[in-house]
Amino acid sequence: MAEAKPEAKQAEDKGPYRTPAPEPKAIVRLTGIDKTFWRGKEPVKVLENLDLDVPDGSFEALMGPSGSGKSTLLNLIAGLDRPTKGSIVVDGQDIAKLSDGDLAQWRSRTIGFIFQAYNLMPVLTAAQNVELPLLLTHLGRAERKRRVEIALRAVGLEDRMQHYPKQLSGGQEQRVAIARAIVNDPKIIVADEPTGDLDRQSADDVLTLLEKLNKEFKKTIFMVTHDPHAAERASVVRKLDKGALQ
Amino acid sequence: MVPITYNVRSLLVRKISTIASLVGIALVVVVSSCSSMLSNGIARTLKTSGRADTAIIMRMGSDAEMASGIDVSRISTVVSNPNFVAQDKSGNSLGVGEIVVVKTADRAGTTGGVSVSNVSIRGVPANVWDVRDDVKIVRGRKPQPGTDEVAIGKALPGRFQGVEFGANFELKKNRVAQVVGVFDAGGSAFESEIWADVDTVRQAFGRQGVVSSVRVRLLSPSKFEAFKTFVESDKTLGLMAQREDSYYEKQTEGMAGMVKAIGWVFAFLFSLGAMIGAAITMYAQVANRSKEVGTLRALGFSRFAILLSFLVESVMMCFAGGVLGVLLALPLGLVEFPMMNMATWAEVVFRFEPSAGTIIGALVFATVMGIVGGFFPAWRASKLSPVEAMRT
Amino acid sequence: MTILTLAARNLTRNKTRVVLTVLGVGVAVLAFMLIRVVVWAWSMGGEVAAKDRIGTRDKITFVNRLPLRYAQDLKDAAAPLGVTHVTYMDWFGGKDPRNDSLFFGAFAVDHATFLDVYNELSISPEARERWKSDPQAALVGKNLAKKLQVKEGDKITLISPIYPGDWEFHVAAVYRSTAKSFDESSFIFRWDYLNNNKALPASQKDRIGWLAAKLTDPGRSAEISKAIDKAFDDRDQQTLSMSERDLNTSFVGMVAAVLQILNIASFVILLILGLILGNTIAMGVRERTYEHGVLRALGFMPRHITMFVVAEALFIGALGGAFGLALAYALVGAIGPRVVEDFGAMFPFFEITPPSALVGFGLALLAGLISSLIPSYRASRLEVVNALRRIG
Repeated sequence: MAEAKPEAKQAEDKGPYRTPAPEPKAIVRLTGIDKTFWRGKEPVKVLENLDLDVPDGSFEALMGPSGSGKSTLLNLIAGLDRPTKGSIVVDGQDIAKLSDGDLAQWRSRTIGFIFQAYNLMPVLTAAQNVELPLLLTHLGRAERKRRVEIALRAVGLEDRMQHYPKQLSGGQEQRVAIARAIVNDPKIIVADEPTGDLDRQSADDVLTLLEKLNKEFKKTIFMVTHDPHAAERASVVRKLDKGALQ
Repeated sequence: MVPITYNVRSLLVRKISTIASLVGIALVVVVSSCSSMLSNGIARTLKTSGRADTAIIMRMGSDAEMASGIDVSRISTVVSNPNFVAQDKSGNSLGVGEIVVVKTADRAGTTGGVSVSNVSIRGVPANVWDVRDDVKIVRGRKPQPGTDEVAIGKALPGRFQGVEFGANFELKKNRVAQVVGVFDAGGSAFESEIWADVDTVRQAFGRQGVVSSVRVRLLSPSKFEAFKTFVESDKTLGLMAQREDSYYEKQTEGMAGMVKAIGWVFAFLFSLGAMIGAAITMYAQVANRSKEVGTLRALGFSRFAILLSFLVESVMMCFAGGVLGVLLALPLGLVEFPMMNMATWAEVVFRFEPSAGTIIGALVFATVMGIVGGFFPAWRASKLSPVEAMRT
Repeated sequence: MTILTLAARNLTRNKTRVVLTVLGVGVAVLAFMLIRVVVWAWSMGGEVAAKDRIGTRDKITFVNRLPLRYAQDLKDAAAPLGVTHVTYMDWFGGKDPRNDSLFFGAFAVDHATFLDVYNELSISPEARERWKSDPQAALVGKNLAKKLQVKEGDKITLISPIYPGDWEFHVAAVYRSTAKSFDESSFIFRWDYLNNNKALPASQKDRIGWLAAKLTDPGRSAEISKAIDKAFDDRDQQTLSMSERDLNTSFVGMVAAVLQILNIASFVILLILGLILGNTIAMGVRERTYEHGVLRALGFMPRHITMFVVAEALFIGALGGAFGLALAYALVGAIGPRVVEDFGAMFPFFEITPPSALVGFGLALLAGLISSLIPSYRASRLEVVNALRRIG
């Protein structure tokens, strides 16, 4: 991804979501967030009056015990879930104001997802898995192919394009998932326990890759993890406990 | 053996899939039950028409009364032979010579030959009500002998123009028959007939001097063979005698056979579909419970116990479908079904007639579908390696 | 790759289930096609019948025969209206004594005029000579000749339930028919041979079953039929005339109840189709809930998920439909010619028409669409966060 052209293209692509406001220092800003789930009739407060600023270009790790609300926080930032109260501004866009449909589009342009279980489609090849998010754009076949190749080269799997997930190792699967996360050239990558299912060596490879994405391609990375080794590689480590940041 | 409650719970967990398969089986059972009920109905209608102690005499070689014709002069010796034929209290022989014709009739609600069918008319002598003592007037009265009054079977009202109680229709041009009564004949084919005076029918249909058939009540059913020999011994008469019940049975064979054949072809094709549906559901059950199967195997249950357990589950599901199917099919017993009798070209009304055989047959059929449809999934489950199964 | 690629690839996800579903849909489509073939063949019975021939019979009942002189009277009355030829015939009800379960039509016809009215019968000039000169000559349809095992020049004896005795015929020709309006399974012989028989009672002499008239203008058949019936209105026996086509159509009307049953069966098939497909689709959706969550997280919209599910259902429906059509073409191709040969009078055709094939295929697609509506709706209503929480 040495050719940084997609960067320029991205600016055009953003269309309606581009705001004229001056570049904010924080690319993600959460203010006064409450999140309450209902277990039957009983409310369960997962997050309470939470504020969070994630500066542009940072690599943050979020740690905390099970049930502390890590995944909920991640889902809110990624626009998968909505807060009970409070505002979330990501890349200058108040995502609470978007409809479900617009939010889905916004997600496909702004957020790259990395899951613990990779979540590749077993019936599609590595290249087709990476191409999946591009099907939501208006890019032509040739352009999609080019971007898929760039993304797979960036994760070092250009020679595995036609392999199916079950023909790849866990580490390789996760790298395909990372290629899928960056193929749209999103501003932010959210990763939910990306090394949770991997052995030490593969986990190191994946973390090195994330570092590279952060340093060389200026992606903001927000990673939820249990793994202290993984957290070490981040520039900022936050701890969440009982719905509040420490 | 794996407890059956385990299977019941498992079926209830995947409600939609279970219900889809169950309803599929039920539909097939409805189809097979209907075919069974209709062939029962046909058999009963035509069988109750015939009695073992009654002989029917027609011209040699005739298949049906309508095609037969006997000179009146030839029948007297046969009808009144006291060695064979029963008599009423006043000493009259219990025998009738009748004319059977079919007449074109407009279907109810149409006129002018737009939609026509054939209806049987039977010309009967006055003593028919004594010979056929199981036929009863249920509305109106008996027709006056020697007039153009007629009585109609209770399956007829509402089906043909003018063939209604209190109404009239043309026997032929300018000869109008008045419907003065409706009779019940125990669900037999007579209920689809019009009964008119024998002389009226003779005149209206140009049948002077002949009858179609002669029926006599025998002293006892065992007299039939001797009576038959007596009737057929005189070759110059050219007559033959049959038991009335076997005469109707022969007419039934073709029709009931056709209904059964069509019914079973469809039931077979549909059952393939339903069994495949059951197999799909059971395969999903196996796939979703491979961990449980592994655990059961680890606990010491044999492959056979696993196979049996899934088979039992499939059979339970299909049996429930069978019960549902039977419950859906039984109310059809109230439906009337007009069909053409191939032997006479006249329409006869049949009913869907449920029997114990229908119900047992349907449930056995459903069970078989459960076994066939469930076997391969159950086989697959029994082949799961416990270690592999628990890992996934 | 397009979005549809993923839908198509998902078919390989659970091969057993997809194969079973395609089989199930295929069998259902096969059953549907068979019903369509029968219904179509029946209704075509009316379509192929000649429009340019009018049949005239006794008004009251087809059992009554007409006086011979009606033939000349009809010709006199109808000639000015454009009737070129008139012939007459009678039903013989012939049976082969060697095989009395073989059913075929045997007709006594006027040899002088029959081939003018039924000019679709094709025989050689030599056979025509034999037909004219030999009173015992008979024309046997190609298919019937095979079953009776006779060839030109053979002698054959038939019996009849209506005309007692043994009847010997000489096969003058094995005829072929150049049109579907006359089948190749009939036995035709000379009416004079029947009428001149010494054993025939006087009351049955010079009687004919019905008349057939050939028109120059088929468009006038209704008008001419009326004119004929009017000409006989004041006679002892009134007549009922209609074109062969109307006659066949009214026959179809008599089996309306059977057609109705077949239509209900079609509906049951649709239900079974829907159940099999719906079960499969619903299972697939449930199993892929998490995956749909992932797709939604990647930015796919609910409508995309709906599309995945519907496209998959349509794929399976299309595969099953194609499979069912292939089965139906193979089966009907195999038995069709035999059915036409054996039951040509009832089923002049027994084949699949392109429109009915389209309907069958469309039905499979429709079932796919309908059965995917609820699962796809539920899949699209998915809360992404909940879907992703299901496992892991």
